[in-house]
Amino acid sequence: MYSSDYLKLTLRAVATSKMRSLLTILGIGIGIAAVVMLTSLGEGLRFYVLDNFSQFGSRIVAINPGKTQTGGMGGLMSSTRPLTLEDSNSMKSLPHVEYVVPLVQGAGAIEYKQRVRNTDILAVGSDMNLAWRFPLIMGRALPSEEAGYSQPFAVLGYKVWRELFSGANPLGEFIRVGSERYRVVGVLAEKGQMLGFDLDDIVYIPIDRGLALFNRVGLMEVDVVYHPTVNAEEIASILRRHLILRHGAEDFNLITQDQMLVSLDRILGILSIAIAGLGGISLLVGAIGIVTIMLTTVRERRAEIGLFRALGATSRQILLLFIGEAILLAILGAIAGIFLAGVLLMLLFYFVPELPISLHPIYLLLALGLSVVVGLAAGVLPARHAAQMSPVYALQAE
Amino acid sequence: MQGLDLLRFNLRLISRQWFRTLMVLLATAVGVAAVLLLTGLGEGARRFVLSEFALLGNDVLIVLPGRKETSGGLPPLTGEGARDLTLEDAEAINRLSGVKDVAPLVVGLTTVTAHGLNREQMVVGTTESFFNVRGLNVQQGQLLPKLDLQRPEPVCVIGTRVWKEIFAGRPVLGQWLRTGERRYRIIGVLEEKGVGLGTDMRDVVIVPVASAMQLFNTSGLFRLFIKLQHPSQVEQVTTRVEQLIQQRHGGELDITVITQDAVLGVFNNILQILTLAVGAIAAISLIVAGILIMNIMLISVSQRTSEIGLLKALGASAALIRLIFLSEALLLSLLGALLGIAIGFSLLWLGHSIWPEFPVAVPLWALFGALFLALFVAGLFAWLPASKAASLPPVLALRGETSDV
Repeated sequence: MYSSDYLKLTLRAVATSKMRSLLTILGIGIGIAAVVMLTSLGEGLRFYVLDNFSQFGSRIVAINPGKTQTGGMGGLMSSTRPLTLEDSNSMKSLPHVEYVVPLVQGAGAIEYKQRVRNTDILAVGSDMNLAWRFPLIMGRALPSEEAGYSQPFAVLGYKVWRELFSGANPLGEFIRVGSERYRVVGVLAEKGQMLGFDLDDIVYIPIDRGLALFNRVGLMEVDVVYHPTVNAEEIASILRRHLILRHGAEDFNLITQDQMLVSLDRILGILSIAIAGLGGISLLVGAIGIVTIMLTTVRERRAEIGLFRALGATSRQILLLFIGEAILLAILGAIAGIFLAGVLLMLLFYFVPELPISLHPIYLLLALGLSVVVGLAAGVLPARHAAQMSPVYALQAE
Repeated sequence: MQGLDLLRFNLRLISRQWFRTLMVLLATAVGVAAVLLLTGLGEGARRFVLSEFALLGNDVLIVLPGRKETSGGLPPLTGEGARDLTLEDAEAINRLSGVKDVAPLVVGLTTVTAHGLNREQMVVGTTESFFNVRGLNVQQGQLLPKLDLQRPEPVCVIGTRVWKEIFAGRPVLGQWLRTGERRYRIIGVLEEKGVGLGTDMRDVVIVPVASAMQLFNTSGLFRLFIKLQHPSQVEQVTTRVEQLIQQRHGGELDITVITQDAVLGVFNNILQILTLAVGAIAAISLIVAGILIMNIMLISVSQRTSEIGLLKALGASAALIRLIFLSEALLLSLLGALLGIAIGFSLLWLGHSIWPEFPVAVPLWALFGALFLALFVAGLFAWLPASKAASLPPVLALRGETSDV
């Protein structure tokens, strides 16, 4: 038998019982559609989060005071050995270091004339705009300090500007930040939200003024941006050595953007697979459908199988025929499923445009491959049943 | 035909086509079990998180320094406001009516030393009422003594892990614990408890609040817990506290007062939606199972044409024929769902016995929802084949002729 014969026979078998094939295909299709949709949502979420994190650039090392197992909270608490502004400044002269941004975060009232807005205050170093890639739409960035003293200048986030000044020119105006007077020198471009944290609803002030305002000695975090000439591990070890030399012990926590992205990527990848696995349940049920229908088909076509055998078809050829039929059903199901998923995703995108969806051609190929595997697995049992049927018994069917 | 007849008739059919029956049962069972398993895990996660965070009663207010305009988002958790929340503020709040007790909190990290062993340690500065608010108790020794808020005292209560790590479980009461140039006498060891997702109370050193302020050279509180005289006074006391602080801070309201319920409510909502979504995704498989049922019923109708013809010739109405096929589908689906419930619950039970800390609980809506959906889908998808059987002309059917399906 030629392969074109196989194809013709299988196609005819599928086409003969249209309703039955259609329902089986639909079953598999829904399963595949579920897998494709959930995978694209999961992957979309992953890219969205990673994108959010890497918008600050990828060559960042974050240093937090305090070395504990808890992690993450270090900067918020007090410490007997804080990370100071002097530590931060001393890192500027290290090799391969491009920018150093010390920061302290707090909240307070911002006043302009009669208006008051309670919002986040971020006290940062003057390199903030360059290091984090925050472009300005108006005015200039915070100036660097002179002789250890910063001018009372402030840069507004986009939303703060809209709310306090209703879009009027704020440059040169005075605002009050926590009972101190600051002159507005710049406004940042709109950045949007990052993981629930509104980046536009922040007022930026110089770090030394922030420390005085919040009455604290220690910084919450220092972000170091390094030259592309070194890799993350090298710069991490340089910074670590430098700080240990200054502090006498490793009482800080150092994490590179790479480490963070890798661990984040791993978590989100697992999540994405788990979500796709949920869709896989439907696919499993669809596979059960193929098994059931194929077995019924094998019983019904006993006479046909007997005839084939009598004409000299080997049991292997019979096996291939039925497995081929199962795979064909599964592939048709996959195509229907991909189509269904495409329509649903388009509808979803139309109604909820902010939802991150990423539909990559690779996933579609994977879905097709998956359906072949499903067809193969589901087809083996009925096909073996057909192949092992004794020709004499099969011919007796009618 | 009576109900009992119908049941017997169906059971015979189902048992004769045992393989087909088995597969349909399996398909439905997988769907139902998946719904139960996933919603059970989701509900378990919700209860787990709630119980981990629900350390404070509903009669406790939390005061955070700093304030943000936008509500609904995260409260200002960093604990830095332009003006400190001070011990004097705490004392003033304590004098308000409706306030039973206040527990100020100062938190910091430092290295503690004893017996030549160092450990980077979280130090909590607070008062004796904190133990009451957090529901903590000591297993040996005593709690912090009742002190004036402003008075430092070189004593401390340590968590069990600190005790085991630094003192290797030896008797510690009365020993000294050094941090930098200060030292504190250990007067108590906490109970092994309070392993919350928030702060691990096994791994802290608790000192009087004034001592912690000296240690970390700060005058501002990180948090302030207010215990109310009665849970129903949450609203009034919140207003009173806000007014008082506004007065004391030069007319500026720079604190945020929250209750634990408000914070937990957000979590609760998110996890409930997540459970619902996961359950819905699993329920898609029930629809696939329904399609399988439809397929099987169509085949069954075409195979049993002559039987249908006989029944019709004997005087069975179209409605009865439809009922016979519908009830077969429903019976299959019901059995499958019951099997699925059994599988789902035994898997959850297995999981629970392997990991006992994790509470698993199938919400009732998921149980009945899955059962209802399975039956509904089966009825819906069997309607077409059953109608087809019912509308067969008896003469043709008797001859066993029907259009191919």
